[in-house]
Parts: sequence; C-alpha cells; structure tokens
Amino acid sequence: MTDKITWLFILLLALAVSACSQPKDPVFHDQFFAFGTLIDITLYGVEPGIAETISSQIEADFNALHTEWHAWQPGPILSLNEKLAQHRPATVKPGIIHLLAEANRLSLASKGLFNPVIGNLIELWGFHDNALPIGTLPDSAAIENLVAENPAVDDITIESDRVVTRNAVVAYDLGGFAKGLAIDRAIERLRDSGIEHAIINAGGDLRAIGQRGERPWRIGIRHPREPGILASIEIAGDDSVFTSGDYERFFEVDGKRYHHIIDPRSGYPASETTSVTVIHSDAATADAAATALFVAGPDHWQIAAKNMGIRFVMLIDSQGIIHMNPAMQSRIQLDPELDATVILGDPLQ
Amino acid sequence: MTRADHILITLVAIALPFLYWQLWTADQQANYLLIHSNNNPPRTELLTPQRTIQVAGPLGSSIIEISDGRTRFISSPCTTKACLHTGWLSRVGEFAACLPNRVSLTLAGRHPDFDTINF
Repeated sequence: MTDKITWLFILLLALAVSACSQPKDPVFHDQFFAFGTLIDITLYGVEPGIAETISSQIEADFNALHTEWHAWQPGPILSLNEKLAQHRPATVKPGIIHLLAEANRLSLASKGLFNPVIGNLIELWGFHDNALPIGTLPDSAAIENLVAENPAVDDITIESDRVVTRNAVVAYDLGGFAKGLAIDRAIERLRDSGIEHAIINAGGDLRAIGQRGERPWRIGIRHPREPGILASIEIAGDDSVFTSGDYERFFEVDGKRYHHIIDPRSGYPASETTSVTVIHSDAATADAAATALFVAGPDHWQIAAKNMGIRFVMLIDSQGIIHMNPAMQSRIQLDPELDATVILGDPLQ
Repeated sequence: MTRADHILITLVAIALPFLYWQLWTADQQANYLLIHSNNNPPRTELLTPQRTIQVAGPLGSSIIEISDGRTRFISSPCTTKACLHTGWLSRVGEFAACLPNRVSLTLAGRHPDFDTINF
C-alpha cells in the first residue's frame, strides 16, 4: 500500500512539473509605427531570433517605401507631379514606373472609380496633410473646375522610363493603393525567407498567408460605427482583407462628416457608403478595389467588383444596411448580437 | 511513511487539479495589455485593478483607462479622436491606436479570439 502511494505521489509530482512548464508560444508578434500607420506583424512557428530580424527588415522596408512613394513630401512622386503639372515629360526609375503602371492598370479596371491621379482634389480637401482642416470646406467652384478637367490615368502615357501627360491637372496620390502594394512586398520578403505562416496588418488592412498551426487565422472586422467587432472571417492559405471606411480620415463641418474617399466624378466625398470590405489574394488589388467599391456605392458595387475580379464583398451603406454577395456570406461570420438588415446580392461570377 | 507524508500527499492531490485548471485553461480571457508608444519596446500592464495610465507620445499624453479586464483610450492629443471612437477593447487580439500620437493598445493572451483586426 505504501509503495502504491509513493508511486502515486511521484506521478502527481511529474504532472505538477509539466503543468509549470507550458510549451513556448509559437506565435511571434511585433508592432511599430511606419508608412504613416501602425504595422502589426504576426508570424507562426518562426524561431524568435529570425522573427525579430525579419520584422526589423520589414520595418526598414516600410520606412523606405514611405519616403519613396509619398505624394506630398520631397521624393520621386512629388517631383513627377511637379513635372506633369508643367506638361513636361518626367523620367522615373523602374521601381516607380512599375508602381505607376500597376496603379493605372487597376484604375482602368475600376473604370476610374479608383483614380490615383486626383491628387489636386485630395489636396483641395485638405487630406494632403497629416493635420486635417478644422471647420472649413474647400471652395465649390474650385472643386467643379478640377472635376471638369477630368484627370484620369488614360491622360498619361508611360514609355520605358518616361511619363508624359496631355492633362496638366493629373497628380498622382497613391493613398488608395500604396499600402496594399507595400503589404504585398512584405509578404514577398517573408516568403523569400522561408516563412509561410504570417499576417501583415498595416493600419487595419492585411494579408494573411498559411495558418496558425492547426487552425486558420481568425480575423475580426471592427464595426464602422460602434465599439467592438462586426464580424469575423477565417483565412487558411493566402488572402488579403481590406476595408475602406468613412471613419478613417475625416473632419466635420456643421455636424456633417467629410471623409477622405473622394468620388472623382463629383469631387466630393462619396456619401452613400459607410464601409466596404473586400477579400482578394493580392493586397494591392484589394486596396484599390475597396476604394472603388466604396465610391460605386450600394447600387453599383457589384458591377465594380466584377470589373476588378473581386469575389468577396461586404458593403455597409449610409443607413447601416449590410450588402454582400453569397460567396462572402459563406465566408463571413456576423456577430450574433448584431442587429442589422442584410441584403444578399446576386453571385459575382 | 509518516503521518505528515500522508497529509502532504493528500494536499498535493487536492491542489493539482486546481493548478491544471489555472495554468492550462484559465487564460481564455485577455490577461494583459501591451502599450506601444513611438516605437519603444512595449510596456505590459495587467488588466486589474481599475486605473488610468498616461502614455507620452510626440504630441503629448494619451490617457488609457483599464477597467473590468477591458481597456480604452479616454483622451489623446489628436484631431480626429479615432482612437477614442474605437471604444473598449475586451477580446484578446483587439487593438486600437492613436496614429498621430504613435500610441497603440493591444489586448494579448495565449488563446486569442482574433489573430488580428481589420478596419
């Protein structure tokens, strides 16, 4: 009997020891401010020393791209815009040419709803600055004049390393696209380093690859108007989730909200949408599409989605009604306590 | 074995299930807060007791409230106050940031409800 009690004691002691030594968390997490936003990196199953090194490299990449792609601080894009405004041809390096060509391609696919050359309109509204305007609206005649000039990417010709325009009102502002492309670059760097399970989140927009061990990555989608989570989705493989919302950058005049997503057709903030969430494999396309579908609004988002090859969309209109396509409905889990009308659209394909 | 050995073994046998429950299953909720400011190493804070914390950023101080296992920004020297509009963070994996003042809050725990947040 005594032996049995002794063995039981030894067994319990072993269990106690194992209870005190939980396995090391295989998730590496890092956050830093770069690219004008908060970058959040999650890696799974990567040795901590390697994870820290790669995170630092990604931080350096984001900082370098921010300088290179900034539209209103000294750099290649500002220099390009100054030349285009004078009808002068601009010579730019291959990396920038690729950036512009990709932005132009996505703009054409969106039929101009994503328009990366309305930098003058963005500036007129005051979103061309870190400090937003307080209590003032731009002159309506100035807005009308810029809209009448109809700056569009098909005003621009790219030949080898030269960029020319026939419309001096074009000015690149890559705000609706650059973040996506930067996230794609970060994912490329991870994959080049042999990392296959990760999330790169830049200011709420993200691309996730692989999964979190035995389960998919779980993504929460924040409610655009209330604290807390509106919905969640799972990703196992490779998907980008981008949301454009009227709450990201805005100011109010006489109680009315004026946000940063300008409809190129009117020159004013697109007013029928609160937020649009899209899922697509590459982040640059998801970024441009979220902007384009926001501008398209609740009546036309499906056409814009088809034009841009987007298969998963959720749009919340200005009345709080949720619109989505059946494929999105099958992927998204709305918060069970959510009290909202959901309108299911036709399939996108 | 002496009487004291028996008492010890009995106590261990009673305590172990509790220890297992504590160490392996009791961390489903957020159990700490990570505060990043201006790319400095993160500061870790427990989610009790109720209190406010001042965090210095380039524009001034952001004030963070901790209460009932939740956290939120209650003031920040930014213009849009997007950080305040985010409201309470209560689920592991949620985060909020004041970009102009370069301060962010992340609820961290071993078993997150979400691995990241889209907004």
